[in-house]
Amino acid sequence: MSVFLHVDMDAFFASIEQAVNPRLKGKPLVVGSRGKRMHTVVCAASYAAKALGIHSGMSSREAFLICPNLEFVKADQAKYIWTSERILEILQGYGFPLSYASIDEFQMELFGKVNPLDLGRIIKERIYADFNITASVGIAESRILAKLASKLDKPDGLSLIDASNFKDVLSRTCLDELPGMGGKTGAGLIKTGLKTCWDLYLNLPGFFKEDDKNPGKSDEGPKSVGHSYTLPDARKNPQVILAWIRLLSEMVSSRLRRQGLAGFTVAVRLAGPLIGDFCLQKTYKTPTNDGYEIYKRAVQISSKIASKTPRIRLIGITCSGLSFNAYPNPLFKEDARREGLLRALDSINNRYGDGSIYPAVTALAR
Amino acid sequence: MPKGGFNPRARWNISVPGNLDLEPGILNEPVEVLACFKSCRITPKVFIWNNKEYHVEAVTYSWQERLGCALISYFSVLCADQVYQISFNNSTFRWQIDKLIS
Repeated sequence: MSVFLHVDMDAFFASIEQAVNPRLKGKPLVVGSRGKRMHTVVCAASYAAKALGIHSGMSSREAFLICPNLEFVKADQAKYIWTSERILEILQGYGFPLSYASIDEFQMELFGKVNPLDLGRIIKERIYADFNITASVGIAESRILAKLASKLDKPDGLSLIDASNFKDVLSRTCLDELPGMGGKTGAGLIKTGLKTCWDLYLNLPGFFKEDDKNPGKSDEGPKSVGHSYTLPDARKNPQVILAWIRLLSEMVSSRLRRQGLAGFTVAVRLAGPLIGDFCLQKTYKTPTNDGYEIYKRAVQISSKIASKTPRIRLIGITCSGLSFNAYPNPLFKEDARREGLLRALDSINNRYGDGSIYPAVTALAR
Repeated sequence: MPKGGFNPRARWNISVPGNLDLEPGILNEPVEVLACFKSCRITPKVFIWNNKEYHVEAVTYSWQERLGCALISYFSVLCADQVYQISFNNSTFRWQIDKLIS
C-alpha cells in the first residue's frame, strides 16, 4: 500500500526574496506582481506579514494600509521557476513517482520499506541546505490528506495523518480549510450542515481515500487552460484591450499546443467598474489551438457587452472542452498555411524561450 | 516534467508589460569579476565597478534563466552590508551588475 508525501514550500516567493536579501528576514514582506508598489496585487506574503492579516490576492494598497512599514519586492518569476525546478530535480532523485501540484507544491507516492517520516525530514533538510528556505511536509494515505497534513504545522512542519490521529485532525479542521473547499463547493456543503472534515467523512467516507481506479492525479489531462491579467488601472482604449485579448489568446494557445490539446469552448472574462464581472463562453463546432482563432472567437464573445467602450480592468481568456489534437488536420489551403506558421512559431519559441516571437499587435499591450 | 501536470514555465512574462516597470536600483552596467569556476559552479569572489573593488562576503542566492540562446547565471551577493545582483551571460561571457538590492 502506498503513502503520499506532500511537500509545500513555506511562503515560497517571499522566503526566496528573504534568502536573497537577509535584511528582510523576519520582517513583514510582500511580493508584488508589478513594480508599482501601490498599484499591484500581493503575490505572496511572508509569515510576519501573514500574522498581520496580509494575504496573497490582496491589493498592495490594502496591505500598506494594514502595515505602512511593509517591505515590498517585485516578483521575479525566473528566480521562483528555477528554484521550483531544482526542488523537483532533488525530489526526482529519490526515485518515487512525483507530480507537480503547483510551483511550490510537490506530491510523491511512496511504496516499499521507506520510512516516510525519515524521508520527509531528509527532504526538508536538503531543501534548507540548498536554498536556505523551509518546506512543510505532510504524509498520509491519500493525496488530499497529505496536503492537509502539510498545512497542520506550518512553517517548517512535518506532520503525519494516520489511524491514530485521523478522527482528531478531521474533527479539528473546518470544512472550508480543506483544499478545494474554499469557494462555492465548501459553502454549499456548509449550508447542508456539514461543519468539519469529520462531518464530511461521516457522510462521504470515500472522499478522503485515494481513488485506486484513477491513481496519479498528474496523469489526468487538464480540463481547461486559461490566462488572465489585471491591468494597473481601468482602460478604455479598445486597441489596448484587443491587444491584451490577443496576447492572452496567444499565451493560452501556446500552452494548448505544448500539451497537444485543442479546445472547443472559449470563455472570456472582462471586469471593470461599469460592466462589473462579465463572463461568457461559447462552444464551437471545431476545436482550436491557434491564438488568432481563439482571439477572433473571444472578440466575437465579448461583443455581447452592451457598452461599446467599457473601461476594463481585468481580462481573462480560457479554453475548455479540450481534445487531444496538437495540430488539427487542416482541410483548406489557408488552414494548412496557418498550421505551418504555428509549427514555425512553436519551434522558435521552444528553442529560444516562450515569448521570443509573438504577434506584433500584442506590443500594444505594453 | 509530468506532461499533463503543472508546468511552471507556463509564463510569458517577457511579453507582460509589468516587466517594463522602472525599478529603483536598476543598474545593468558591465563589471569585472574575479570568480571561481569549481565543481560545475560559479562563485564570484570580487567585482570591480566604477573603479572600486567589492569583496564578496557571501553569495546569498543564485539562479539561472535562459534568455534566447544565452543562459544567464544570477548571483545575489553580500558586500559590506549591501546586497547586489550580478549576472554572467554564458553566450557573451559578459558580467554585469544588474541592480542594487538593498
